[in-house]
Amino acid sequence: MSSPDTTEEGLVEESIESQEDLIIDEERDVLVESIKKDLGSDFIDSHVTPQIDIWIRVTQKAWLETARVLFEKYEMSFFNFLSAIDWKPSPFGRDMDAAIDNTDDEVDIESEMEWGVTGGEKRFQLLARVHNPVTNIGINIKADLEGDFPEVETWIPVYPGANWHEREVMEMFGISFTNHPNMVNLYLPTEFEGNPLRKDFPLLSRRAKPWPGIVDVELMPGEDDDETEESGEET
Amino acid sequence: MNLEASTQQLSYIANQASDARVNIELETEGMTLNLGPQHPATHGTLRIIVRLDGEQVVSAEPVMGYMHRGYEKLTEVRTYPQVTTLVNRIDWLGSFANEVPFILAAERLMEVEAPPRAQWIRTALFELSRIANVVLFLGDMAVQLGATTPVFYAFRDREFVLNQIESVTGGRFHPNFDRIGGIKDDLPKGWIQETKDVLARIHSFCDEMQDLVVGNEIFQTRTRGIGIIPADVGLSYGLSGANIRSSGVDWDLRRDGGVGLIHDQLDWKVWTHPDGDSFARYWVRLQEVRESCKMVDQILDGIPSGPIMAKVPRIIKVPPGEAYVETENPLGVMGYYIVSKGDLVPYRVKIRSASFNNVSITPWVLKGVYVPDVISILASLYFILGDIDR
Amino acid sequence: MEKAVIAMGLVENGKLPGPLTKLLNISRKYSLWVYQWGLACCAIEMGAAFASPRYDVMRLGVIPFPASPRQADLVVISGTVTDKMAPAVRRLYEQMPEPKYVISMGSCANCGGPYWDSYSVTKGVDQIIPVDVYVPGCPPRPEALLEGIVLLQERIASEDMTDRWNRDPIVVT
Repeated sequence: MSSPDTTEEGLVEESIESQEDLIIDEERDVLVESIKKDLGSDFIDSHVTPQIDIWIRVTQKAWLETARVLFEKYEMSFFNFLSAIDWKPSPFGRDMDAAIDNTDDEVDIESEMEWGVTGGEKRFQLLARVHNPVTNIGINIKADLEGDFPEVETWIPVYPGANWHEREVMEMFGISFTNHPNMVNLYLPTEFEGNPLRKDFPLLSRRAKPWPGIVDVELMPGEDDDETEESGEET
Repeated sequence: MNLEASTQQLSYIANQASDARVNIELETEGMTLNLGPQHPATHGTLRIIVRLDGEQVVSAEPVMGYMHRGYEKLTEVRTYPQVTTLVNRIDWLGSFANEVPFILAAERLMEVEAPPRAQWIRTALFELSRIANVVLFLGDMAVQLGATTPVFYAFRDREFVLNQIESVTGGRFHPNFDRIGGIKDDLPKGWIQETKDVLARIHSFCDEMQDLVVGNEIFQTRTRGIGIIPADVGLSYGLSGANIRSSGVDWDLRRDGGVGLIHDQLDWKVWTHPDGDSFARYWVRLQEVRESCKMVDQILDGIPSGPIMAKVPRIIKVPPGEAYVETENPLGVMGYYIVSKGDLVPYRVKIRSASFNNVSITPWVLKGVYVPDVISILASLYFILGDIDR
Repeated sequence: MEKAVIAMGLVENGKLPGPLTKLLNISRKYSLWVYQWGLACCAIEMGAAFASPRYDVMRLGVIPFPASPRQADLVVISGTVTDKMAPAVRRLYEQMPEPKYVISMGSCANCGGPYWDSYSVTKGVDQIIPVDVYVPGCPPRPEALLEGIVLLQERIASEDMTDRWNRDPIVVT
């Protein structure tokens, strides 16, 4: 399901996909090709889910430029959101109900990073979405960020609505935005330490008293009552 | 900003400046006014620091976070069915509508589709929660302008809608009824007729509001021409829902979005208003409640029979991938960006809530207005604190 | 006016003769001025209890109109208290005149509720102010809140000021 531009493998996959689904989204493909032409070497990868969505990945230095191109040339006038993703898995496990997470031993979680759609290279990835309310095509933009406390240019000159979103990303991930007029915490008190949405930020209540696990599973409608099997699993 | 809109805004500011000429002669000092964090006009715990020159606002800076509960972090440690319990409480007036985009996004990743009957019931509840939400706004906006009666009417008629939601879902406020692949239960006996009676009530409530509030001269003078938001400014701030439709943008995800709800099979209309002022926002919402009533009415007549649950595994593991689904919620566009790594829990959930963007325009729109207009503009933007702070 | 002040002080110190205390208690019981404190979802259920014609809290002698905590006898903490909000909660509570009562409404105010593991939520408002009545639920129905108020009124009716602070809180079941 990769776009036809990247590799030969991508091309083959694309053709198989379209044969299977018989959906070819020309409108979105053309759009991606055109954006690729505009951005040149700053355009890294893209992904199109036919009839549904577009993802593109650009370089960090082209972050503001991408917004400008999308706003001015493609009339993506609706600013949807701006956020980030931390791709480094949590060192604390999933803090969940699996048996592995309730043990006191140090949880051994493989710390290799795996990226999602359009791939990635770095730990932090910016994620934003803009939308064209006339043609109803939205586009997700991603950008890899260098370093542990990255800096990137603000989107405010193009989308003033990005102001608060960037403040939120700053306090949640520790990513700061240059040329931002008011780079202070949005939600948390100023004395708050840490960046909560980083995966290595622990939820202390869970560390102190772990979740007891799945104790009652709600049956789906129409399913028969087979509690005996479940209780057998738990004990 | 386009030329027409900027002229409008400028002439508005100029009018007010000429009104305030006396202040200039008196050489007023600047003053800082703190609204909130606990103030009746803020629907909760929004705090706005307003710098004033006389009666005129020089700058307004909202301070948020008094209701920040850390949803995006909490979703990372909860299984998919547990997340719906949580997201109910984002926009607490139209709770069911919060679940829908999340469930749709998870369904898209799992490549399951709810059976038709489930989709129809889902849409009916979606629209009922919109009615429950916006009806309260219709009463509450009048309270902010000094008329206490409409809110009693709103609470009175809202109870009936909540009763209907409760009799299906078991939850008056937080239904937690939507499941990946369908819905939890079927409709109870006699529900369809009861709901039709309630819809008739809501229709008459709308007529009442039309006479009592929209037709009121004081209400009109206090809202017309106040807080004008031009379409392009609104879009670049990410305004959505009735706030942007009242600026003349004909865009409604129920019609244009094409996600797993059945709005496209119903006969209804998207209302817009060219003015973009507080009055337009009230008026558009009033029409939307009427349209929602019409939609639910049609759904009740046309619910197909069949199963309400698709085949899904007992323990839900969502395959790896990313999906973003947004729907037109009572407050505006609400979307969930889910990153899954094939686990029991989502890897990352970005919640795009409508009010957050809707309120982010306040520093722009409050600049240069009078203090009493601050309240009417805030009320007309219609936000819910849980939806801002998450 | 001056008399009233003296009488209030006497009630505080528990030095009034029994029948007079009882009379004062009855009058306090039926004029509970409640400060509107909307925090989260529960605020809407509180609004339904206070402002809707169906539940109508005024028939119980509870008056939900003071705009300032300085006029209030009772506060309903309705909703999630976050760490950022907590100082304001404490401050507004301290502004209320004695004798004052607190109803903690909903799971969030009781113990953190669905946000028990959150990094920004105060797990229970009783960590910052004393609570008289706990109303469980997420959110509690308006009826549950009304029951909490009725139980509080019963306690006020038989209240002896000297051991007021030594009592266990009421838990609505």
